[in-house]
Amino acid sequence: MFEIVTKRELAPHINLFEFSAKEIAVKTKPGQFVILRIDEEGERIPLTIADVNIERGTITVVCHEVGKSTKKLGRLKEVDGIPDLLGPLGKPAKIEKFGTVLCIGGGVFVAPLYFQVKAFREMGNDVIVIVGARTKSDLIYEDEMRQVCNEFYVATDDGTKGYKGLDFLKDLLKERKIDRAITMGPIVMMKTVAEFTRPYGIPTIANLIPVMVDGMGMCGACRVTVGGKMMFACVDGPDFDGHQVDFEELMARMKMYAPQEKLSFVFYEKGGRGL
Amino acid sequence: METGKEELRIGVFICHCGFNIGGVVDVPAVVEYAKTLPNVVCADENLYMCSSAGLSLIKEYIKKYNLNRVVVTSCTPATHETVFRNACEEAGLNKYFFEMVNIREHCSWVHMHHPKEATEKAKDLVRMAVAKASYLEPLVEPELEIKPSALVIGGGIAGMTAAMSLARQGFDVHLVEKESELGGMLRYLYKLQPTERDASEILHEAVTAVKANSRINLHTSTVIKEVKGFFGNFDVILQRHGSNELKQINVGTIIVATGAEGFQPLGMYGYKENENVMTQLELEQRLKNGGLKKPKKVVMIQCVGARERTGRTYCSRVCCMIALNNALLLKKLYPDVEISIFFRDMQTYGEYEDFYREAMENFIDFIRYDPDKPPKVTSKPNGKLAVTVHDVYLKAEVEIDSDLVILSTPLVQHEEGRKLSSVLKVPLGLDGFFFEAHPKLRPVDFSSEGIYVCGTAHGPKDVNESIAQAYAAASRAAIPMAVGKIRTEAVKAWVDTEICVGCDACEVSCIFNAIEALTFGHPHVVEANCKGCGVCAAECPLGAMQLRHFKDQQILAAIEALLKPKKLRGSGENFEPIILCFACQWCSYAAADLAGVSRIQYPHNVRILRVPCSGRVDVLHILKAFLNGADGVIVTGCLIGDCHYIDGNVKAKSRVETTKKSLKVFGIDLERLEIGFASSSEGQKFATMMTDFVERIRKLGPNPLRVGAGGD
Repeated sequence: MFEIVTKRELAPHINLFEFSAKEIAVKTKPGQFVILRIDEEGERIPLTIADVNIERGTITVVCHEVGKSTKKLGRLKEVDGIPDLLGPLGKPAKIEKFGTVLCIGGGVFVAPLYFQVKAFREMGNDVIVIVGARTKSDLIYEDEMRQVCNEFYVATDDGTKGYKGLDFLKDLLKERKIDRAITMGPIVMMKTVAEFTRPYGIPTIANLIPVMVDGMGMCGACRVTVGGKMMFACVDGPDFDGHQVDFEELMARMKMYAPQEKLSFVFYEKGGRGL
Repeated sequence: METGKEELRIGVFICHCGFNIGGVVDVPAVVEYAKTLPNVVCADENLYMCSSAGLSLIKEYIKKYNLNRVVVTSCTPATHETVFRNACEEAGLNKYFFEMVNIREHCSWVHMHHPKEATEKAKDLVRMAVAKASYLEPLVEPELEIKPSALVIGGGIAGMTAAMSLARQGFDVHLVEKESELGGMLRYLYKLQPTERDASEILHEAVTAVKANSRINLHTSTVIKEVKGFFGNFDVILQRHGSNELKQINVGTIIVATGAEGFQPLGMYGYKENENVMTQLELEQRLKNGGLKKPKKVVMIQCVGARERTGRTYCSRVCCMIALNNALLLKKLYPDVEISIFFRDMQTYGEYEDFYREAMENFIDFIRYDPDKPPKVTSKPNGKLAVTVHDVYLKAEVEIDSDLVILSTPLVQHEEGRKLSSVLKVPLGLDGFFFEAHPKLRPVDFSSEGIYVCGTAHGPKDVNESIAQAYAAASRAAIPMAVGKIRTEAVKAWVDTEICVGCDACEVSCIFNAIEALTFGHPHVVEANCKGCGVCAAECPLGAMQLRHFKDQQILAAIEALLKPKKLRGSGENFEPIILCFACQWCSYAAADLAGVSRIQYPHNVRILRVPCSGRVDVLHILKAFLNGADGVIVTGCLIGDCHYIDGNVKAKSRVETTKKSLKVFGIDLERLEIGFASSSEGQKFATMMTDFVERIRKLGPNPLRVGAGGD
């Protein structure tokens, strides 16, 4: 049993969980993820690790309630536990001294990006951070990020806080010399960032968490096409060259189980009532 | 004044349609029944609801009873919905507060010998409509402004003709050509039939006219990088070859005239291995530049890479004429040259038959070959080519020594065309060519409004056909630009941002570019592009995406109402199953109408629920029906390839398959769910489909989830 040491609501339907998991904590590097299950028959949820605390022996993940399993997770409380927590999985992010690193995070993925921002900063990089969300109330980790980066920007889809959309990034790229870009967020956002950085030849890392099952390279559910080659996000990634990722295919694959997701969500939410 | 919040006041009006409905259905009984339904404040009947007396009755009752929803129970909405909607509007009621029930085509005409059951069915249908009406919302039909400028993509003869036509009508035109010169395929052709005019002459005239026209803005060596926006206001980003600089233009309409290319028959008949084996197009090049050495003997092979069993199954239409034309030209140049044309079928339609006759009179030899035994070409040491073929008529092998082997290859879509299809989000057909909205009724329109197609981009055509089609596309594009404003459908997608989590499933599922995923995952409905199919709503995993007028709530309410009486009808093996049929408004609903008009009788157990497209039918709708006791559910749509929303029915099919898997969990036999397809002209097929399905369900017995199922 992995105990929930801390649970905090960061935004509506977005919760931070600190799990007691010492063995995972000591081995985790930024960019890696865990797969957890809430009960014996639960769905396996992959979540990128947002922080570790070795003294406390804990790892932190942040989860957005988007369907049945994540809603179920969101209803757990401190001192509750989960039976399965598997990790760290995937290859760690490449954290080196690159110079100026641009980190762009969207939605719930801002949390795991924070872990990388800290690491880049510790390596002596100048780190520019952009955090974005659909709307002001969905923004998370603003203060935390501000404290660890050199330069900080906020953007929202509806313009309720900061810049409206990511178009301002075009100007930023024109003016500044960027040595590496890291993007973690909705597929559309990562695709947009990759398109913006492509003309400048800035190495751009996209962090992909597609539909996953075992997370160890066995099932093939997390197939992605990168540079025309088939890769497994779980073992070959989750970091990939953003300029080579077939984002269209990824988006199509992500909705493969939409009807099943819908049924299980409706039955969980309403116990099938209304049907 | 009309909000969903106020007290519901529904009026139900039932039409006798003379004897058409009233002769079968007990209309007074249905009126009395309607009065008992929730929120119904009045119900009445009329001999002809669509007569001025009937319409006045509706208007009078709206005022008298202060109605805020109107249900008319009569014939098909295909013909009379507008009439009743207008009556509501005249009485001050938003026309989307109107719901129509079809008890003529779908009831009295198809159950003529079962008045009792037809009356029960009419009551069921009224109950469904009243339930849906309770959730109707007022809608507005937005107006779109159309910019009076057009983009023509492709500077071949079709594109130039369309551009000229629009420019002469006073519209600004951007003509984009990927090559450095205008002309397209015409630049490579030699002499054109039936006039034997030099292609270069026609080309020169067209190019000069285009260049001289000040309304035409020419962009050569340029491709379309991106298209955003919608009908009336497209933002198009152009990119010049070898340049990173992008240029943005703004247009109201778009014409696709990107042409086609000749198929390269690599690996066939020694093409590219022997220099004397060439395509018709390459022969014309040599005729044109005088690079052809006089041959003694020429063999032409037709249908090379065309009319195949799979892949390029189509006939390229022009190759028979091209072969005859080139053969006759060779004969004129070198009267003693011997020419054999190996053909499968000579397809020389219309006046082209004259060339076929002329060719035969000029002793051109025609040898029919069997596609299963195609000719063989081998190089001989003396440089000649030996061509052997099984002559179908002689029933014997024939060998010919030839100087030249000319291959007639089909026109095919090119890479740029395929790219453009995804940039514009307009479809390609199975043959690879651009696919029009309707093969008969809308031959130059795409189903996306404001985008049109002409020339060989749309399929193989000769020059005059391309020109004719270019004029057609230009005049189609000119209509909205001349009017300046267009009223659009009110039935559009709508997203509940409270529920949406930004998974973008809707954006991926929309084929019309009507959903724009904003950077951080917020979907934005581009209403001008939305066609109202509802596919996105069915694909949304959370039910956040909805289609106005066909929201889940509205559809589910109708289904619930249908199955409210849980009691089994009939008993034992003679039970009467309740079958819910989802019918797409374009094809299968119309097929059911036609079955009615043709008085084709089918079992009365079927209850039809109209949806815009079979692709709107959600796994939840199907499940709702079963959990509430439906004995069978059949989703019906247009024939595959015929969907008004391109592939909504294909998506419906795969969704039905997925739903079947889920049904197992609930203990429901997979056989109780079916999907069927019928075009609007297939009334008989629709009736047969229903008859077979009802029989199947009757054998399966009642839905085990139905209260009281399994016995009385």
